[in-house]
Amino acid sequence: MERNMKRPYQITGTVLLLFAAFIGWEALKLKFYTHLGPGPGFFSFWLSLILGGLAVLMIVQATLRRPDPMPEEFIPSRSGLTKMGAILLSLVVTTALLNVLGFSLTMFGVFVFLLCTLGRPGWIVTLLVSVAGSFGVFYLFDRWLRVQLPSGIFGF
Amino acid sequence: MESLQLLLGGFATAIKPTYLLFALIGCTMGTLIGVLPGIGPAAGTAILIPITVAMDPTAAIIMLSAIYYGAMYGGTITSVLINTPGEAASVVTCLDGYQMSKQGRAGSALSIAAIGSFIGGTFATMGLVLVALPLTRLALKFGPPEFFALMVVGLSLVTGLAGKSLLRALISAVLGLLIAQVGVDPVMGAPRFTFDHMELLDGFGIVPVVMGVFGIGEILLNAEAKAGAVFATQVSRLIPSRRDLKASALPIARGTGIGFLLGLIPGVGAIVPTFISYAVEKKISKTPEKFGKGMIEGVAGPETANNAYANAALIPLFTLGIPGSPTTAILMGAFMMNGLLPGPSLFKDHADFAWAVIASLYIGNVILVILNLPLIPLWVAVLKIPYAILTVLVFGFSVVGVYSLNSSVFDVGVMLGFGILGYAFRKLDIPLAPLILTMVLGPLMERGLRQSLEMSQGDITILFTRPLSASLLAIALVVIVTSAFRAFAAVKGETQV
Repeated sequence: MERNMKRPYQITGTVLLLFAAFIGWEALKLKFYTHLGPGPGFFSFWLSLILGGLAVLMIVQATLRRPDPMPEEFIPSRSGLTKMGAILLSLVVTTALLNVLGFSLTMFGVFVFLLCTLGRPGWIVTLLVSVAGSFGVFYLFDRWLRVQLPSGIFGF
Repeated sequence: MESLQLLLGGFATAIKPTYLLFALIGCTMGTLIGVLPGIGPAAGTAILIPITVAMDPTAAIIMLSAIYYGAMYGGTITSVLINTPGEAASVVTCLDGYQMSKQGRAGSALSIAAIGSFIGGTFATMGLVLVALPLTRLALKFGPPEFFALMVVGLSLVTGLAGKSLLRALISAVLGLLIAQVGVDPVMGAPRFTFDHMELLDGFGIVPVVMGVFGIGEILLNAEAKAGAVFATQVSRLIPSRRDLKASALPIARGTGIGFLLGLIPGVGAIVPTFISYAVEKKISKTPEKFGKGMIEGVAGPETANNAYANAALIPLFTLGIPGSPTTAILMGAFMMNGLLPGPSLFKDHADFAWAVIASLYIGNVILVILNLPLIPLWVAVLKIPYAILTVLVFGFSVVGVYSLNSSVFDVGVMLGFGILGYAFRKLDIPLAPLILTMVLGPLMERGLRQSLEMSQGDITILFTRPLSASLLAIALVVIVTSAFRAFAAVKGETQV
């Protein structure tokens, strides 16, 4: 059976509907209207209603209309998922460790990890790029251009 | 006539070898800053201000101004070559520029962008000379109602960015408006959707969001591709074809007008003219369905508008002392650091300086087109770098660029979150352009409306009784009605809405 976009759009619509409900609920906690006009909650509330309506329309459209065929590359391959996971993990680790270990060490580790996962260009190139992209960039920005980058507990 | 004589005097100063050298350095550094994803003109200008402290004021401002509009050129390059905007205002160029790149027309896209930027920048500088004072008097008449109406015109153009599905475009637009609600209420100052997080008081910055949805989103999409894939771009010719040149002529003219006029209004921001130009080109095109698939008009118009805006935004700074954007605000700081106060007194007390800087804007535009056109093969050679290394470099510069804005890892986290959103949107064929447009325009629109209602003590007719705002709202209505008509006709013809 040919895969189509019915289920993805139904799921997306449902997620958007829940999000809209959440925003609407939070907006009601804010001041809606004052004697001078709309308050902080006014636009948010109406936007949440509009989003909710559009989300319902998306679900209805996905359910009742003839769905588009699913593009061949819609579901990533295992290797694609691994690479994407590596990139996302790198970003999470960067966010978590940037202020702790500092820019140089964090980015060095992340660069080595990413280069090994995404392409394996050889150890020498990996080390060169990683050192240049971490310690080199830190020196360039922090010491020469005076743009503060986090130095972490080791001071670099 | 007097302006012309003063301008000639300015040229006599600006062509001195020292100032030419600083203009060249500024253009080169600006282009490089624009090329590096995440480090935009604001950050780049701010980074380099300390370097200029020891320089003479004229040289300092010439160099910093060159960095400012040079970054507009540079931002195009990564937008076209790797679908990552070098700076936020180049995000629109990703839509068609990258598609052209995938078709082997990267050289043409970059050349047209360089030519259009040169023309837009030059005409905007001519405008600075000729019409600065009368037009800024008009711009001063823009109050909150006019601002609101202008933003409504901008938002109405969302329908022009819809692509295949108006429904998905509207969802993207509404999400952009909701994202912009996070932070502090612009009128009452109350926190909104911050959930007690201090970092959210300033809302989501446009740079982390744009870097996330376009930069990180693109990296994630490329990661899915088969092993060994590189950023596949071939450049078969650098000189644009006659067809491309002919197709670009009118978009360049329109982009010049749009960028110039919007540059006069403080607070509009560099992204708005590019989106409006793109939406206009798409609306009047005989083949709007081809936009997003490599239409040269989608590159020529916005890139011209971008540079025309950048140069025109200097008009309110020079003549009124009002910085129209974060970057011009930084430039204003540079002025003051050098003992100069932008505004009417600048032309009275430091006329030599002012006209020398204006003359250097012409010179800078010439330098940029000379610099960029022959260097296109150099930028294209970047694509020969293996995918893994290029990805890592883009990743690294994105982190540096986003972090350096506020020295905050929170912004890196925002970029991560919006990277996932950008990836999901592309998978689901939800257009990203409306999200960015409404995120930028939404707060301006809300502030304009609420301030208008405060002015009128809650009476909404203020929007319709002022001639300027009424005219703008009428334009918005026409745009919405014609789009709705088209959408209805499409539904009748059993195409998806």
